[in-house]
Amino acid sequence: MTALVELERAGFTYPGARSPALSDVSLDIAAGDVLVVTGEAGAGASTLLLVATGFAPRVVGGKLSGQRRIAARRCGVVFARPWTQLTGLCSTVRDEIAFGPASFGLPRQAVLDAAERAMRELRIAHLAEREPSQLSGGELQRVVVAAALALDPEVLALDDPAAELDPEAADALYDVLPAIAAAGKAVVVATPDLERAARVATRAVTLEHGRIAARGAPADVLDGTEPALVARAAGCPRPYPLDVPALVRRVRR
Amino acid sequence: MIGYVPGASPLHRAHPYTTLALAGALLLGAFALTQPLEVWLLVAAAVAFSASGGVLRSSARTAFLLSLPIWALLFVLHGLLGADPRTTVGPLSLSVPGIARALVLGGRVTAIVLAFLTALATTSPHRLVEAMTARGVPFGRTFLLASTLTVLPRMRERAARILEAQQCRGLRLGGSAIARLRALGPLALPLVLGALAEVDEQVLALDARGAASAARRTALDPPPDSSAQRSLRAFLLVLVVAAYGWKFWRMRG
Repeated sequence: MTALVELERAGFTYPGARSPALSDVSLDIAAGDVLVVTGEAGAGASTLLLVATGFAPRVVGGKLSGQRRIAARRCGVVFARPWTQLTGLCSTVRDEIAFGPASFGLPRQAVLDAAERAMRELRIAHLAEREPSQLSGGELQRVVVAAALALDPEVLALDDPAAELDPEAADALYDVLPAIAAAGKAVVVATPDLERAARVATRAVTLEHGRIAARGAPADVLDGTEPALVARAAGCPRPYPLDVPALVRRVRR
Repeated sequence: MIGYVPGASPLHRAHPYTTLALAGALLLGAFALTQPLEVWLLVAAAVAFSASGGVLRSSARTAFLLSLPIWALLFVLHGLLGADPRTTVGPLSLSVPGIARALVLGGRVTAIVLAFLTALATTSPHRLVEAMTARGVPFGRTFLLASTLTVLPRMRERAARILEAQQCRGLRLGGSAIARLRALGPLALPLVLGALAEVDEQVLALDARGAASAARRTALDPPPDSSAQRSLRAFLLVLVVAAYGWKFWRMRG
């Protein structure tokens, strides 16, 4: 499958920083991927998202090194704190989601259709007339994801999207990611939430000090989940089960 | 009360340009009109403006609180330290022309604050954005103006959240004026730093949603305008020009 984003020995240094936040990263991101990027705080996962989606250095400044090719027509990005991603100028969820398509000057009906489609995809059509500032954190984060999807991005990057959510809202958010990827988009998630990431990932990358330390199938890379740790302690061979149902199946076997 | 208050008053229903033109005329009028009678007419116009928006009570209270320090300063500068002749009120020796001057200056300040608060309370940021979008105003300028209308309520909400959090950690707000002033530190620092940190994310989020797009934005629900409102705005412009003409003619005389 054609890569939507290709990084070859890419590195990135923030403005004013002495050392690079990302070094020597080579990575392809293709349609249908749910790529999970993990690592310790400061390992460079968020930076990788910004570089892969083209926002660094275009918006944040800084210096890019190595090769980067972004074939995706459009990239969307979602951050951890949903309230920072609202325009603050829209009085309904529908208007908030329609903001993006309207920015690109699409005809009015196309804008409204895009908003409706995104709301259906995120299962938030019932919130259409609500005021964004009155929503819960979980509802708001789904509105933000819908707002990104309304632009029909080929790459959707999510930076620790469940950090501010309760467990139910976090589950609901992660549950929609495979469907988004199945619709022909690439989903890239930077998160320390390995349990949920393991449920949805098709590939995983671990970063250490801005460099790729491990990559491959989630079962090979995400071995820090609690079920994996239990399996490892119990002497199970690799690949470790990454979630509780998989652990239960393994134990039963 | 500072910020938009939903309602159905004539000002709420008016085209946002009309509401802002009325507030702007009052503001510019306050700089042009300097005679006592003119100023009290201006204050009366500001009160009528606020009453027609259905927000007179709350706006007048806030305007009073905001302009109180200025009134106090004017009273000291002109009333107590002003020129002769003087009159005695209880233990105070007051300057008669100074008191008259303080009343005029205070009236102008109060008219400006009341007009500004009324415009904030009756202009929906969303309708303003739609109105400006329909006129083809670039989003950067639209955002700048609309953000001005929303920044105060947003800062107030954020301050309330920080205050609650700091109180949970033992911050005491009561006591002497000095103790209250000291309590400002734990509030102001996170308020400013938090706002700055969130700005980065908001810039990225808005950019991702096409805010910087060169395309002409699509207006989804532009507020209706009318020839009567357009005529009123033109009349206000003539009125302001006439007021400044009158001021300069008087200055020459």
